[in-house]
Amino acid sequence: MSLWIGVGVFIVAALLFLLIPLWRRKSALGRPEPMLPQGGRRAGVASEGGATKSAPVGRQSEIRWPTAGLLGVLPALTVGLYLYLGAPGILKEQALTQAQSNYDVDGMVKALEDKLKATPNDPEGWYALGRAYIAFERHAEAEEALRKATTQAPKDAKIIAQYAEAMALKQGRLDGRPLELIQEALEISYEETKALELAGLAAFQKGKWAEALHYWRRLLKLLPKDTEHHEAIAQAVTTAARKLDLSLGGTGMPPPPPPPAEPKKAPH
Amino acid sequence: MIPELGHVALIIALQLALAQGIFGLVGASRDKAAWMAMARGAAGGQLLFVALGFLALVWSFLVNDFSVMNVADHSSRFLPVEYRITAAWGSHEGSFLLWTLLMSSWTVAVVILGRKLPTDLHARVIGIMGLLSFCFLAYLLFTSNPFMRLHPPPANGSDLNPLLQDPGMIIHPPLLYMGYVGFSVAFAFAVAALLSGKLDEAWARWVRPWTLMAWVFLTLGVMVGSWWAYYELGWGGWWFWDPTENASLMPWLAGTALVHSLAVTEQRGALRVWTVFLALAVFALSLLGTFLVRSGVLSSVHAFALDPLRGLFILIFLGILIGASLILFARRAGAVKTAGDFDTISRETAVLTGNVLLLAALAAVLLGTLYPLILDAFGLGKISVGPPYFNAVFVPMMVPALLLLGIAPWMRWGRESLPELLPRLRWQAAAAVLIGLALPFAFAEWKWQAALGLALATWMILATISGLVIRRRTTGGLPLAAYGMGCAHVGLAIGIIGMGLVSAYQSEKTVAMQPGDSASLGQYEFVFRGAEEVPAANYSAMRGTIELKRQGQAVATLLPEKRIYRSSQMTMTEAAIRYGFVGDVYVAMGEPLPGGVWSMLLYLKPFVGWLWGGALLMALGGLLAALGLRNKGASE
Repeated sequence: MSLWIGVGVFIVAALLFLLIPLWRRKSALGRPEPMLPQGGRRAGVASEGGATKSAPVGRQSEIRWPTAGLLGVLPALTVGLYLYLGAPGILKEQALTQAQSNYDVDGMVKALEDKLKATPNDPEGWYALGRAYIAFERHAEAEEALRKATTQAPKDAKIIAQYAEAMALKQGRLDGRPLELIQEALEISYEETKALELAGLAAFQKGKWAEALHYWRRLLKLLPKDTEHHEAIAQAVTTAARKLDLSLGGTGMPPPPPPPAEPKKAPH
Repeated sequence: MIPELGHVALIIALQLALAQGIFGLVGASRDKAAWMAMARGAAGGQLLFVALGFLALVWSFLVNDFSVMNVADHSSRFLPVEYRITAAWGSHEGSFLLWTLLMSSWTVAVVILGRKLPTDLHARVIGIMGLLSFCFLAYLLFTSNPFMRLHPPPANGSDLNPLLQDPGMIIHPPLLYMGYVGFSVAFAFAVAALLSGKLDEAWARWVRPWTLMAWVFLTLGVMVGSWWAYYELGWGGWWFWDPTENASLMPWLAGTALVHSLAVTEQRGALRVWTVFLALAVFALSLLGTFLVRSGVLSSVHAFALDPLRGLFILIFLGILIGASLILFARRAGAVKTAGDFDTISRETAVLTGNVLLLAALAAVLLGTLYPLILDAFGLGKISVGPPYFNAVFVPMMVPALLLLGIAPWMRWGRESLPELLPRLRWQAAAAVLIGLALPFAFAEWKWQAALGLALATWMILATISGLVIRRRTTGGLPLAAYGMGCAHVGLAIGIIGMGLVSAYQSEKTVAMQPGDSASLGQYEFVFRGAEEVPAANYSAMRGTIELKRQGQAVATLLPEKRIYRSSQMTMTEAAIRYGFVGDVYVAMGEPLPGGVWSMLLYLKPFVGWLWGGALLMALGGLLAALGLRNKGASE
């Protein structure tokens, strides 16, 4: 880890700043000292090496103890304080985020295409590719990929619903074939979230408020709470409920305006 | 990676500062040369690591690393590069990092330039500075860490306070901090003197250049702050008696007193205890100023740190520092031998009287600044103490001090006879009274502020210069420090001319103008040519064009701006100023009114530039004196 190498270099440098003066002083002390005039120190003019009164034994401890103490304390305290105050984990997280954002999404799609060319019998692969195409708004290719997926896995509600969405996105409306596919998916599984969402939307577009509410309320129970998706559907439920209320109250509202929501473009 | 290394560097600097403090002080008291040497090494290491930390922060600002919280909070992608660098000290955290960097720079300067000091005194001074650095670094790391991280980082930062996006802000805080921190050297010397009981003329000779340099920086810092307020805040004033301004004025007043009493201690050995007391007080006031500005107790443009924990830390630090140094002072001041007898009438007395007046003025400012805060803290109501109070108490105390300033350099050390001295100054006094009375008639009307300012300034200039001339003639040459004194005193006089004239004769007018309108003020006519939108990288501005005419002749085009800063959506007034030797013309845009009409604030500010010119001269004088004393010290 390069951070810890840096920390190590810093600690060594800091120790050098402290220990070099300490040990240089020691080697100077090892030499015979010049005689100092008596009382020189008291007059405040004594030279730096002028302290002569301690015995050599005292000298040794004067240097040994600080050295040992610093060698032990400084690295430990530096690492300890940094782990307490700093954010060493952020480097790993940043590297991860960096890797993710650098990940070549086009490359990923390309790799998937190549893989499917080599082994075309892979409904999950076609499904993933279809969703990727939808994300890039390549709707025609998405429809084609998901068509292949449905032919390979005709009973997979998730894939059928996704195929319906791609088709609706391509033609710009849910009516017709997409709606049939949605019903087909719901017949296979009444818990398929994408199908429930699209079915609700189709009903909403036709002004069938109660029907829209039925699908979306069911969907709401399936979605994990505190997600953007859950929130969006909850809001749609509120809107539909209000519309239903208005229409039942006989306020004489004109037929509902064109659908407020397009089919969601990005896959969830 | 870089911010993390910066963080580690500060953690290491903290430990080096502690080692510097312990080994310096214990080494000096136990006479261990190796430990004292280690304290010096620690000081060098501390500077290196604090500088690395500071560079890491600047680097984070430069590359827009918004994962550093401090960068995300105080910069933005729209911010020009130069302000991205200065934003590094535009925040609370960054400015304290700058403070610590300057502190360790001063320490290394003391290590290098103080090599000729007695080893134990040198080590004590370094040790005390180490302990101070330790406190600042601990404060920085534990309450105001500039390297807090954000993950995931925001896409953009929330921008630097637009008030700080200004060239004045690039230099104002560093200068001010150089002053504040520089006084820590005098503080450390004072504590070392108390610890060792050794305080003599030699001590004063070592401390003087350091104190003078700190004073020079503080003078420049206060000056730039005042100038910045003048052109950036758009109110046209140069001193508002705002608590944050007072926070820098108080250490300046005490520092000015210290510079003078140090001179007495060095030359005559007198006023030793007083000098030590001032050295302790100046640094305590510097810290108090920082506490006031940085803790958030004052809500003003400076109080960007609204965290009570930080205030508490500084308050405790301040309490310990002031308490400990006063206890030390009380116990040890008796050990400092007093010397240098002087008579009631002498130069020593004159300096001491000037000192007392400065401190009395300081006490008045302190009271006016703290009293509203204390009332507020105890829930006794909010009051605001404004310019009327400060002018009423400050001016009467400064007038006798300024009169003394003219006389003191003429007086002999030890003993002076007034009946002999005063007649020698009669011409200077007469000229001052005459000019003070007569010159205001040259303006629109006779006003006492102008008369007082002009009389005082004339007195100071004539007495100072004639005094120096006579001294030069009798001694056959002047030391550099004497020229420094003359320069500083004349600078103060020039500043006083500016203060007197601008407060007596400034005129202002607020007018609503639509394109084509004109308004007149004094001899000037202001023609509004319209306002247009001018986009810039980090703000968009409405820029008004005003043609300035004098006696029908166009003399200048003024372009005041009203800016809206993109990231913060703050509105700023950028005044247009035509600087002049005898006065400024100052235009600020007010609010836009319906129908392309703008309210405009027009000001005429006679002689306002003399204020800052005078302050510059004072700083130059301080610099000359410091250099002179340093050379003198080196040659001995």
